[in-house]
Amino acid sequence: MENRTHELISSYLSDEVANSELPKESETVVIGGGLLGTALTYYLSKSGVEVTLLERGELNREASGTNAGSFHFQIAIHQLTKSITPEEEARLAGEVRLQLDAANLWHGLEDELDADLGVHFTGGLMVSETEDELKVLRDKQRIELAAGLETQVMTGTEMRDFAPYLSPKLSGISYCAQEGHANPLTVGPIFALRAAENGARIRKNCEVLSITRIENNPTFRFKVKTSRGEILCNRLVNAAGPWTQDLSMQLGISLPMGLSGLHVNVTEPYEKVLTPMVQHIGRRLTLKQSSNNTFIIGGGWPSRVEKFPKRYSNYWASAAGNAAVALDVLPLLKDVRLVRTWSGIWAFTHDFNPILGESKKVPGYHVALVPTGFTLGPMVSHMLAEYISSQGKSNPIPHSFNPDRAS
Amino acid sequence: MVTINKDAELNFDFAIIGGGPAGMAAAIQAAKHGVKIALLDERVTLGGQIYKQLGRGFKIANQTQLQVPPKIGQNLIADFDKQSISLFLKSAVVSIEEDHLLFATEDEQVSRLKFKKLLIATGAYDRPVAFPGWTLPGVITAGAAQTLVKTQRVLPGSRILFAGSGPVALAFPAQLAGYGANIVSVLEAGSAPTPLNVLGLLAASTGNWDLISDAMKYRLALLRKRIPVKYRTIIVQAHGIERVEAVTIAKVDRNWRVKKGTSKRIEVDTLCLGYGFLPSNELLKLVGCDFEYQESKGGYVAQTDEWGRTSVPNVYAVGDGAGVEGSYIAISRGNLVGISVAQELGLLNLSQAREKAEQFHTETKERRRFQSALRSMFDVKQGIFELASDETIICRCEILTKLDIDRVIDSTADLSVVKAYTRAGMGPCQGRNCQRQISAMVAQRHGIDIADVHQGTPRFPVKPVALGAIADETVSDQKYFFDGK
Repeated sequence: MENRTHELISSYLSDEVANSELPKESETVVIGGGLLGTALTYYLSKSGVEVTLLERGELNREASGTNAGSFHFQIAIHQLTKSITPEEEARLAGEVRLQLDAANLWHGLEDELDADLGVHFTGGLMVSETEDELKVLRDKQRIELAAGLETQVMTGTEMRDFAPYLSPKLSGISYCAQEGHANPLTVGPIFALRAAENGARIRKNCEVLSITRIENNPTFRFKVKTSRGEILCNRLVNAAGPWTQDLSMQLGISLPMGLSGLHVNVTEPYEKVLTPMVQHIGRRLTLKQSSNNTFIIGGGWPSRVEKFPKRYSNYWASAAGNAAVALDVLPLLKDVRLVRTWSGIWAFTHDFNPILGESKKVPGYHVALVPTGFTLGPMVSHMLAEYISSQGKSNPIPHSFNPDRAS
Repeated sequence: MVTINKDAELNFDFAIIGGGPAGMAAAIQAAKHGVKIALLDERVTLGGQIYKQLGRGFKIANQTQLQVPPKIGQNLIADFDKQSISLFLKSAVVSIEEDHLLFATEDEQVSRLKFKKLLIATGAYDRPVAFPGWTLPGVITAGAAQTLVKTQRVLPGSRILFAGSGPVALAFPAQLAGYGANIVSVLEAGSAPTPLNVLGLLAASTGNWDLISDAMKYRLALLRKRIPVKYRTIIVQAHGIERVEAVTIAKVDRNWRVKKGTSKRIEVDTLCLGYGFLPSNELLKLVGCDFEYQESKGGYVAQTDEWGRTSVPNVYAVGDGAGVEGSYIAISRGNLVGISVAQELGLLNLSQAREKAEQFHTETKERRRFQSALRSMFDVKQGIFELASDETIICRCEILTKLDIDRVIDSTADLSVVKAYTRAGMGPCQGRNCQRQISAMVAQRHGIDIADVHQGTPRFPVKPVALGAIADETVSDQKYFFDGK
């Protein structure tokens, strides 16, 4: 299977396909060759929409290819406020339902794309250290169960029997069998490969220089100037991840988003002890043992924001703080050596909702951005594709995701 | 030398990473002018690779039976011990941030050390060359063989073949033979010196008679022990199941490409490789200094001025880590760094510094003239990077063959994409063994110069280090809590 994935990737990345001439016009243009852009291009091409994808560099090289590839369906620390009010509860329930839809999509994705994407449902643990945190675990479980996501909270002997490798000092754990991971390096490129097979045009090394609106032209509402020439389109989708805001400002639409770097620690291989991935309900931690038996440890520790194309550089303090949390949860890590670090770039929204859909202010202009991009990326792309391919007749996108909400 | 109270805040004028000739020379020179210095080295003793001392616990019963260690090294170490310099041994620097570095020691938490000036003098490691069988036990680098004999007095095998190029291919076998090793044969990939070469070396002989006499001594030692030196010959394959049992050697052309019909099999139990060195430039990459590509100095070489200053303020680089030029130039340039640091800290004025530096500038110039004469004879050629077959393992940490890597190289010339898709370079050696080879493969496939192959992003830790030593409970993560805005 491993070899087959290599073949798929190399057949797709062939320069002949991705570097061929840019078409002069396209019904829809998608900007950004990350997970959202490639998935959207796939779903659009599948519905028969004529679509062209523009990527500035190599496909899948930014946030989509520099995350740990986990899908988290339990309510996580970043979704929680300090206290859970009824309004908060309603918001969280909505998010859980979206996460459930995403879980279903991931379950069928390898069949849909007829490829090995490294999808494994290993289950996921959320741990708590204090009694207050344990209460949050129980509160969030109540919301999850009501929304249809099954989770199980364990403490004491039950917890230690279930996960004997975890620190006995933990106050509790919550387990969700649906969580797991896929290979972040293959999912986006294979979406792109299948999209190309459907007739979508994928162009890499094609940087968007400017976007302008064309007045009084019902066929082509936008002119996109790129490093490889101009392209006219009727509908434009901005899926440029961390650079979504820069492009959006060209059309006068300011988005409620910000940027951060995310630090990731990677260890040497160690005997296989940890099957589920692990998160913390009160501290910054995501932890899993990869199929190569290395531990991948992250959870939202910052790295230094740099200007493109420079890669985000790491802070030692993030490695040190992240390691401290990890050791409190999985003490055997003490003697395991850190071999590598990396830094992913992360685009988040201020209200943590996705930014998804068509702008009312600039008709034809669409945005696709989601803070938990790997888990929800294919799902929100599917929603937006349904909206676009039905000419807006079928709209599964909640109003709270709308791109005009900040401007 | 002074001892350190580990709880005290570590705050120095001048931090030096590496206790080889460059680091020691810089430390001694700067210390003479009153600079407050810390020198860190990951080994148990000073001396670096070249002046490596006997391992701890050895007692010398009969000095005359020992091979005499290089006088220059002995003197440097003795001089160093006389100065007031804080020495941190068994201390591996794992990262550098602005005005401080982080270093790991055995079983202790990673410590911070603040500096005003920093010298990165991390030396070099053996240039890896991949060919069928290069990962068999019994195939070792010249550096590893030297470590065995210098620190432990252990011979690597009983029938040793040495293959390599340049001064190393003469010096190492002669030294090994001096320790009693049975060297079956020495292969030199370059040509036998021509009269023109000899003239070139003689023309650059001013200030280099010691090197010429060393070379003659080594050559004579090989002759005396009847160890044949085969020129324009390289190793093309190592054979064996559990370990190396035999090797195939072959004649090469001027680009070190194998000549058909010249291969020959030789029974050996150890194959020792010395194709020169690559700079350990990981820390220099991490601090972000400017590089240039110079194949003869080991590839990516930090740009430095005549005082050893890099493009990053307050960061110096000399010695083989800043481009492989050998120990003599390392010492001269180390002295220049010491003078420059003292001057920049206000302990010398500029004219004093210039006056003191003159001798070392002259030495450096003379040594470099000789080096370039040598290089015309022994510079590494493309042929040795084309020996691997499809099944040859290129990345030995992740066990990836040439074919595994070629599949991805077909579609990208970006090393970080190759790394991401194959995992090449993600293991404990952090790419030291495979990156040069993969860069050569990319350059060849895409018809670009190896100097233009885009290298990956430098990241800490520069050496693997236990999470227990990194963890710091005092770093708070609370400020990252979502505030519900």
